[in-house]
Amino acid sequence: MRHLLILAALLSLAACAKPAGPPADYASLKPADPRLAQLYEGSCKTCHVNPAAGAPLTHDARAWAPRWHQGEGVLLDHVVQGYRAMPAGGQCAACTPDDFKALIAFIAGHEGDRS
Amino acid sequence: MISRRKALLAGAAGVVVVGGGGVALAVREKPEPISPPSVDRQGRLLWRNWSGIESAYPAVRSAPSSEAEVAATLKTAPAPIRPVGAGHSFTGLAPTSGALMTLDQVAGIDRWEGDEAVVWTGTRLGALGPALAAKGRAMPNLPDINKQSLGGAIGTGTHGTGTSFKAIHGDITALRLATVAGEILECDAVHNADLFNAARVSLGGLGVITQVRLKTSANRRLHRHVWIEPLAETIARCEERWAKHRNYEFYAVPFTDLAANISHDETNLPATPPAASSDDAFLEVLKQLRNLLGFSTPLRKAAAKALLGSTKPEEAVDQGWKLLSTERPVRFNEMEFHLPPQNQMAALKEVVAAIEAHRREVFFPIELRRIAGDDAWLSPFNGGPRGSVAVHCYYKDDYRFLFDLIQPLFLAHGGRPHWGKLHNLKAPQLAKLYPDWEAFQEVRRRLDPRGRMLNPYLRELFGA
Repeated sequence: MRHLLILAALLSLAACAKPAGPPADYASLKPADPRLAQLYEGSCKTCHVNPAAGAPLTHDARAWAPRWHQGEGVLLDHVVQGYRAMPAGGQCAACTPDDFKALIAFIAGHEGDRS
Repeated sequence: MISRRKALLAGAAGVVVVGGGGVALAVREKPEPISPPSVDRQGRLLWRNWSGIESAYPAVRSAPSSEAEVAATLKTAPAPIRPVGAGHSFTGLAPTSGALMTLDQVAGIDRWEGDEAVVWTGTRLGALGPALAAKGRAMPNLPDINKQSLGGAIGTGTHGTGTSFKAIHGDITALRLATVAGEILECDAVHNADLFNAARVSLGGLGVITQVRLKTSANRRLHRHVWIEPLAETIARCEERWAKHRNYEFYAVPFTDLAANISHDETNLPATPPAASSDDAFLEVLKQLRNLLGFSTPLRKAAAKALLGSTKPEEAVDQGWKLLSTERPVRFNEMEFHLPPQNQMAALKEVVAAIEAHRREVFFPIELRRIAGDDAWLSPFNGGPRGSVAVHCYYKDDYRFLFDLIQPLFLAHGGRPHWGKLHNLKAPQLAKLYPDWEAFQEVRRRLDPRGRMLNPYLRELFGA
């Protein structure tokens, strides 16, 4: 019983914990895939590592949690069509839908969720 | 002392509090404009410009990785072939049902020739800054934002501000053009001079400029000063400020009788940590004033003066390439015309009066800049310096009044349109504004006799 209470308390704490903000090295992160890295460096990075741009920062779990929750289809539409401050296509005319999906996952810190 | 950003945000809250029952109105936000589908029935991916008003479903997306590949693609790709950079143009320059070509992989500094950098035109301006700085050099001037590709910026006559500075294309001393024949043509002021004069500002209508040789200047630190004062005082003193400062511009804020002034001057002071920009907070206050007090211009002006009139000036010191361009997280549509300098303030007064009389939904500031002349045939600055007046509309608001209400005022003052910004002029009108219009068209017809580089927008613009 005592162990169950401790477990419940830990689970409760875990449930209350807020996602962390961006890691210290967020500005130097890039996708492992060389092609994606080039697309990221050429387009996405200009806003997603710049706090002044207003975009959710790369690997900023706190900023990305509510967005990621919307699902890949919604996020893809927001990227392709543009949404609020997000410019259409992320200003990447060379990106394919699969590129966008992979780049969204990387920037959101969910790169490992897609395989 | 409180920062300008905090003061503005506190002011914005004040608008809501003062408004009482108008809170819901003040914070009401229009929905996102409806977008075309992400993919069309043929499975082609949507391309849309930054502001969202231009779109297309290109049959082919081309991303060549070398100059040779650019030339080969121009020879074989389905027409219309349109080069695209960051998609920041508001006009229909980029949309195509044929091939959309990005030069993102044809980017970077190729080499140096003395203090001139030979640069691939797919380079984004934001990436060029640190690349030049690594050699202690910088672009002499920069536009408001640095997201554009170098090719897109020069092709549309993009510019910064400062009486001693030309638009970006004015600092180009040589270029290489890939044509639809699959050739690479080289030109400068002496060799193939006609091509050089035509190509520097050519709207991607002659082929694709792959490389340019660019003048640079020493990478100096600049002192940035931002302050707000009555618009009447700014208008009275702007000429002395253009003469005094390295870079000077101001924003006339309709429905406030205020102006935000920005100057940059070279300095040896140490760099200061960058403060968070208050531009978005400033815009938010203006939008809330519009939402809450738009029914009464006198009330709106009184509230604006109370909230914004005494905000603390901003100061910053850093390398020029870090200061001259800023972020624009709030999207908008824009019309900008370049006028003879002596007509600039008269046009501004008429534009402000027209907006305040007829378009109470407008809240974006109007931007005033000054640019030196150059000799590119389709440069809006051909033949002498110009003073620019730029009217902006929130991307969710109707912008069509720009054509009916604002453009005639600019034309009456001898204005020429910015090629990347909204206007609806066609060949017959444009030919009267540019002495070398027909010379340009001759070069265009010679290089692209079948008009493979022309989409419907450009066919109409050029009268092709």
